[in-house]
Amino acid sequence: MKLTSEQVNDIALESRLLLTEQELAGATRYINNFLEILDSFKELDLTDVEPFSFAEVLECPLREDKVAAFPDAEAILHESEHVDGSYFKVPRIMEE
Amino acid sequence: MELYELNLYHLTEGLKAKKFSPEEVYESCKKRIDSCEENIHAFITRTDEVAKSQLNENNSGTLAGVPTVLKDNLCTKGIRTTAASKILGNWRPPYNASAWNYLRDAGAILMGKVNMDEFAMGNTCGNSAFGATRNPNDLSRVPGGSSGGSAAAVSAGYVPFALGSDTGGSIRQPAAYCGVYGLKPTYGMVSRYGLISYGSSLDQIGPFARTVRDLQLVMSVIAHYDPMDSSCFREKNYDFTHHENVSIKGKKFALVKEFQDFSLDPGIERAMKKTQEILQEEGAELVEVSLPVVSKYAVACYYALAMSEAHTNLERYDGVRLGYTVKDAAGIKEMFERVRSYGFGSEVKSRIIAGTCLTEPQRCEQYYVAATKVRTLIAQEFAKAFTQTDFILQPASPEMPPLIGSQDDDAMKGYQADLYTLPVNLAGLPGLSFFTGYYGDLPVGLQLIGPRWSDPAILEAGLVIERHTGTPEIANEGVK
Repeated sequence: MKLTSEQVNDIALESRLLLTEQELAGATRYINNFLEILDSFKELDLTDVEPFSFAEVLECPLREDKVAAFPDAEAILHESEHVDGSYFKVPRIMEE
Repeated sequence: MELYELNLYHLTEGLKAKKFSPEEVYESCKKRIDSCEENIHAFITRTDEVAKSQLNENNSGTLAGVPTVLKDNLCTKGIRTTAASKILGNWRPPYNASAWNYLRDAGAILMGKVNMDEFAMGNTCGNSAFGATRNPNDLSRVPGGSSGGSAAAVSAGYVPFALGSDTGGSIRQPAAYCGVYGLKPTYGMVSRYGLISYGSSLDQIGPFARTVRDLQLVMSVIAHYDPMDSSCFREKNYDFTHHENVSIKGKKFALVKEFQDFSLDPGIERAMKKTQEILQEEGAELVEVSLPVVSKYAVACYYALAMSEAHTNLERYDGVRLGYTVKDAAGIKEMFERVRSYGFGSEVKSRIIAGTCLTEPQRCEQYYVAATKVRTLIAQEFAKAFTQTDFILQPASPEMPPLIGSQDDDAMKGYQADLYTLPVNLAGLPGLSFFTGYYGDLPVGLQLIGPRWSDPAILEAGLVIERHTGTPEIANEGVK
């Protein structure tokens, strides 16, 4: 089923993207073309097929849950313009 | 012969024997870059000062004194890393990608960070916030992508080798377009730690060089187990040592039955025939394998998964911790929307929206989950094929490098051109893009695929073919 430009705009907003009218028209065309291609999956019988995983990975490689200091935390903070002391500071979260 | 013209192996031998110094090599490569870069535009960031400081380190490793460049989605500590996107701004990562750490420890000298399609999404190297790179063999043509800057830099003689990344063909197609060798290693062979993610289950770092022996040398340095990448191989050792007189006698090389009816540009068709003759002359056996699911469903499967993974990976770009930001937003939602809408290019936005769409609860089963199952069928099909053959021979692209600006507006048609490369990423296989000669003035590359972890064997098969095809010439069209 084809998506309307309103539906595509709603999806864009979920992705935190504001589209111009031209971008919205392009994205709507793009997604509908793409979904049409993906509908070809219906030709395959996938009933007993498992989702893909790399066969060699027999166990989940976990690391020990140990706190370790990052060697240069200052360098991380230095890259942000939204810093207060040793924290990132973000704009107001709650809507009025 | 100028020093920049030397291939990697000969350069390392000359440096070890002190026939010339690392400073002389650096100056030769820098001069070459200065003479071509205005026309080729391979760089996003030049790192001359970093290179000079590395020259003072007196490293005696395998690659001591060898200049290189990195695709700009590989993190370099304290050096701007952009992924060719406005959204990363002037971000300077606080750490190095492991692959760069291995090269750096081995003595490689960083000449700069090179161009790519934004977040590796594209196959022309024209979808970059920093402008398009041009093919050093013909400036009116694309170098391919997304690792077009890496391929162009090696082809033009800027450096003897470079690193790129390959999510659906982004090493193999530009290597073919620019007339160099490129290896997309087995998924897990090279650590992805510090590679800016696009499709994490598909991304793989790999090398470009002008000879197969040079690829072996780079792989011997970067194919490391890395505890920082949980998908990296463990408990195995891979030997990339160069051996003379390797043979492919008795080995089987397959053509894919379903690909035989697809049209190829004449230069590529001719290269396919010539390569088959070489293989037979060397005592290999030509066979046929059938990949019906791959040929019909791989493109749709790949883009469904790549876009779904991309939408998740690119959620982190919110303007808070790094990159482009705004300081006067009324609330956090407005900030996210303004940062992302300005920072991402249109192809990236389209893929994020498509990925969001495919993974929404009402469509996830029908599209995303179905694609993960189709991927299983594709991997099984390749596994079965490799019980019947040692390698698969096929094009890296059905067409010669297109003219800049000639690409179709319909993105889906462009995606179809990736059919020969992206199934390899879906199954996590290694693929070698190798030089076969020239058609007119343009180089022609083809591709060899092998089973998982057969990277050393693929390179040895490449060595045998290279004996017949010779080494590509350094492309001179960029010289001012």
